Amino acid sequence: MAPEQARSGEPATPVGEMRAGDHLCLAYVNHEERHAVLTAFLNDGLRAGHALVYLVDAEPAGAAEGRLRDGFGVALGDGRLVVLPTAEADLDAVIESALARGHPGVRVTAEASPALRGWPGSERFTVFEDAVHRAVTRPGRPAMALCQYDRRWFAGGHLREVEDHHGGRAGADAVFDDGVLTIVPLFAPPGLRLSGAIDESTLPALVEALRDFDDAAHLCLDLSGLDFCDLDGLRALIRANQTSTVLDRQVILRSMPGCMELMLRASGWDTAPGIVAEAAV
Amino acid sequence: MTERSALRPGVPAQTGGDVLAHRALLYGSRREFLLTAVPFLRAGRRAGDAVVVIAAPPVAAALREQLGSETAAKIEFIDAAEWFRGPMHALASCHDRARADWWPRGRLRLLAEPVWDGLTPLETREWKRHDALLNVVFAGTPTQIMCAYDRAALPAHVLDAAARTHPELAGPDGAAPAGRFTGPAEFCAECDAGPLPPPPATAARRSFATGGLPALREFLSAEARRLGLPEERTLPFVLAANEVATGIVRDGGGRGSLWVWAEGGELICDITDPARILTGRFAGYEPPGGPGHDAEMWAVRRLCHIVEIRSGSRGTQLRLHVRLA
Repeated sequence: MAPEQARSGEPATPVGEMRAGDHLCLAYVNHEERHAVLTAFLNDGLRAGHALVYLVDAEPAGAAEGRLRDGFGVALGDGRLVVLPTAEADLDAVIESALARGHPGVRVTAEASPALRGWPGSERFTVFEDAVHRAVTRPGRPAMALCQYDRRWFAGGHLREVEDHHGGRAGADAVFDDGVLTIVPLFAPPGLRLSGAIDESTLPALVEALRDFDDAAHLCLDLSGLDFCDLDGLRALIRANQTSTVLDRQVILRSMPGCMELMLRASGWDTAPGIVAEAAV
Repeated sequence: MTERSALRPGVPAQTGGDVLAHRALLYGSRREFLLTAVPFLRAGRRAGDAVVVIAAPPVAAALREQLGSETAAKIEFIDAAEWFRGPMHALASCHDRARADWWPRGRLRLLAEPVWDGLTPLETREWKRHDALLNVVFAGTPTQIMCAYDRAALPAHVLDAAARTHPELAGPDGAAPAGRFTGPAEFCAECDAGPLPPPPATAARRSFATGGLPALREFLSAEARRLGLPEERTLPFVLAANEVATGIVRDGGGRGSLWVWAEGGELICDITDPARILTGRFAGYEPPGGPGHDAEMWAVRRLCHIVEIRSGSRGTQLRLHVRLA
């Protein structure tokens, strides 16, 4: 079965929404993003009683285990999380054996090591990804896979190649989503993507999410998906740099929607210091 | 609101320092107008003030001719038809321009001839209030405003209001205290004296409480579309109504009702707060930043054409007017 085509630029699937049969890539931009998504993927699995299989091939299994011990030490100890060298793993057998032990599902994650596994576009890359794909998409098999790729290694064409061999990209879970406002963390630059509407009902969640950035140097707020923002919301965004302990902090309001520009002008706050308002493209 | 000394009748406004001078020039002839306005503008140029004229093109042409091209070139002329689009629009524009462009250059000397024809009774009343509010919004600023009124052409009630909203009257022989000057709070109270007529029975009604504003905004957008409000005016309208509803949910009675209908070329939205009583006479007329100034209402007023407020023991009623065309 050929992997379904992942269109570049399509929004990433929140990792918390991954389901059996999913084979997604995590094309991370930095350590923070990788950590956030991978940790959620593994923790969701532990909560569901899944077996966790961690494939490595650029380093000895012991080195990866050392890194995973912080946070997943217990699961490593009792065998719910196993670290295996890719070359020695018969993925089908590993999954079947975990299911036979009574796990209701299996989560596979593979570390990106393009030099060993084959650069995207190469024969070895394709063989590896196709094997993972077959292993987790077998009908009726409750398995899923998340392949980690450090996107800083790849130019656009190679990144598309990575995405084309997966059912799409996985990204961080929203820190808030009530159907009116969705708040998703951003990693490079650090910040938040706000989608939907900021009003009296969603403002507390926004204030809470902004509080986590009090110590961050600068803050980028991607507003391209924002449909509505009232004056209190605007005030919270503008004051995000005033409550911070960081001097001369910049708050980047990226892709500000028309409704916010209108409100900025109407309220006379368009001259607030420390705010860099970038109009929607 | 404490009345500042310059606003009390009988006390002539000082012409130096950060004290507003706001004078009405009630002229009987073009000659009388020019004899008063031209020295006013020339004095401003000599003093190095930012000098601005807001007038119809023929009036501006007559002033330019009298001033001479050298002086006129240093004066900013603004077309009255462009400037006086709505009373709140003009008030906010004047404040914005003064803050951004005029005061940074020194004192502001403004000559304006407001437009009084083609107005609805409500607009006429709000333009009179606008004159009274200039005393509040520009109090304590380095500003001299001279408002021109054509005694031969304007109705008596406009001239009567002008004599009550300007602390001083200007003429060819200089300025004199306006004997009938009425404090802006008192004048605004007169403007708000009568109750608002009830919404028509056909008005679409909706209640709201916390968590219900997304649905309320959808309702407002749908009603605006149904009643023919152009799309580019829908967003300001929804922002304004949402802001009022937010204030009721957050600071007022927690729940309220609104009515929407079209009447006389306007989309009108009534929003009632059964619990809150507003006591300030200038809610939303004072630019944000000052102590006690209501940034939300300032924005609401700017997003609408006219906003009427009635407040009493039975709560507060706000009526937003947005022009359909």
